Amino acid sequence: MGPKILTVDDSKTIRMIVARAFRTFACEVLEAADGVEGLAIVNREKPDIILLDYTMPVMDGFEMLNKLKSDPETRNIPVVMLTAEAGRDNVLKIARLGVRDYLVKPFKEDLVVERVGRIIDLKAWNEATTKAKRYDDPLQILLVDDKPAILDLIKSGLSDTNWVLNALTQAGQAVDFCSRQMPDAILVSLSLAEGAGFMLFQMMRAAFKTKSIPIFAMSVKTAVEEQQRAQQMGFSAIITKPIDVEDLKAKLARALNLDTSYRYFVQQDGVLLLKLPPNFNPHVSNDITVNLRAKVTESVDAGLGKLLMDMSPLTTADVNLIRLGITVTSLCQELGVKLTMIGSQVVSTECKNYEETKDWQFVNSYEEGLSQLSGASSGAR
Amino acid sequence: MVCMMTAKVEGLVNTAVTTVFETMLNMSMKDVAVESCSFGTQPQIASAVGFTGLMSGVIYLYTTIKFANRITGGLLGLSGIEAQREDYVNDAMGEMANMVVGHVKSRLTDHGVPCVMTIPSIVRGSGLGIEAVSRTQVKRMSFECGGDFLLVEVLIEMSDSGRR
Repeated sequence: MGPKILTVDDSKTIRMIVARAFRTFACEVLEAADGVEGLAIVNREKPDIILLDYTMPVMDGFEMLNKLKSDPETRNIPVVMLTAEAGRDNVLKIARLGVRDYLVKPFKEDLVVERVGRIIDLKAWNEATTKAKRYDDPLQILLVDDKPAILDLIKSGLSDTNWVLNALTQAGQAVDFCSRQMPDAILVSLSLAEGAGFMLFQMMRAAFKTKSIPIFAMSVKTAVEEQQRAQQMGFSAIITKPIDVEDLKAKLARALNLDTSYRYFVQQDGVLLLKLPPNFNPHVSNDITVNLRAKVTESVDAGLGKLLMDMSPLTTADVNLIRLGITVTSLCQELGVKLTMIGSQVVSTECKNYEETKDWQFVNSYEEGLSQLSGASSGAR
Repeated sequence: MVCMMTAKVEGLVNTAVTTVFETMLNMSMKDVAVESCSFGTQPQIASAVGFTGLMSGVIYLYTTIKFANRITGGLLGLSGIEAQREDYVNDAMGEMANMVVGHVKSRLTDHGVPCVMTIPSIVRGSGLGIEAVSRTQVKRMSFECGGDFLLVEVLIEMSDSGRR
């Protein structure tokens, strides 16, 4: 359960509307019908924020607020007044008591969520409870850049994913887009006219709904000052132009905490198979390393004490492969997991040249690997 | 100032009703002639909230139970029998009156006519109507939305200070 929100209002209607407004968020909404009930709940439940009505029977909002502020235990609980009574005098009177915000009835549910979300950390239920998205999910990427060549490059680079690229040329269009649909990530060019890229970032971060979306700044490699400013402002990552799309995809996967492990790890035929792709590169190596311990531990827990590392698609043993191999070997020793490697003759020969890898034994095929792991034969080179 | 605001109160109430219904329910309330607003023999509900201060009075919202159920369902996101629960409907209609009067009260206060509000009250029945006593000014206005009517009556006490 997330933060506790206390709504104090003599109207059950308002309390129900508030509870409904937060139903999609991982939080607990507590209700009180007047100030006395409200203070009792405050002392018992220690809410993270209070939405307080002004006119109530028994004890009104003004008195309750006074009591909250005079008690050291409760004076720091943020209070948002939610009342039908506006007017300059009222606002000033309440502001002097130290409320964090002031909402006037009638109000839109979204507005309450927005204002509360500025004060406490609200997470949607699905954000708080569902598992991480996978790399092959149809993610929505919003690109804001007025250079057609950049659009073409990114579009082409993402063509091997299921990601949906929504390309816009102006920051204002991006704001409209986000009001209709929430992208998973935003890529914005810092070279948009009149600092529009920076302004878009500020607007996204100021709005509750978009404040957690990863926003990547795209900047020309030499525009150092621009990149420093973006870093200071808190952009999720800086992508320099010319864009390395593989690097972009890897950064997006990290920023979105995408599950990429299924691309390399699979439990089958009684072993954990670690399959390296033909495009093995530092990003892939990093992806595998990040998931390695969890996946091997998981397989051991499932009763599989055997790992088959398939390097057969690779034509050379570069430093990334060797580093990964050493990490895998070391982990298997630590966890008592039996390891067999599948690799081409070339890779096998190259590994003989290094002190750390000269003892690695390779088999030629998946079947041979399975056989060796089951102890039936020893065809290793 | 009080006399001036008394004259303006009809406009303030009109704005308050349309704003509250639009904001809370996405309902567009059409200002119609009072004569066209008839509830016949249908069961009715009236919610009222008073205000007292330099200017004092009461604002009543009259409508049919049928429209009140619709309003309650919209406010609370309920449908069917749940939206007809008497306690929900009473509270919802009371809150609608509270918001309308709160809106009016805020404008009065901004114009130097401060007042405080009472808590809402509800009356159910049929053929409901208010007979104003002397020294009370009555203003009536009515609204229509999707074939349902809302009658709003504003009773303003003509105090000595109010007549000055």
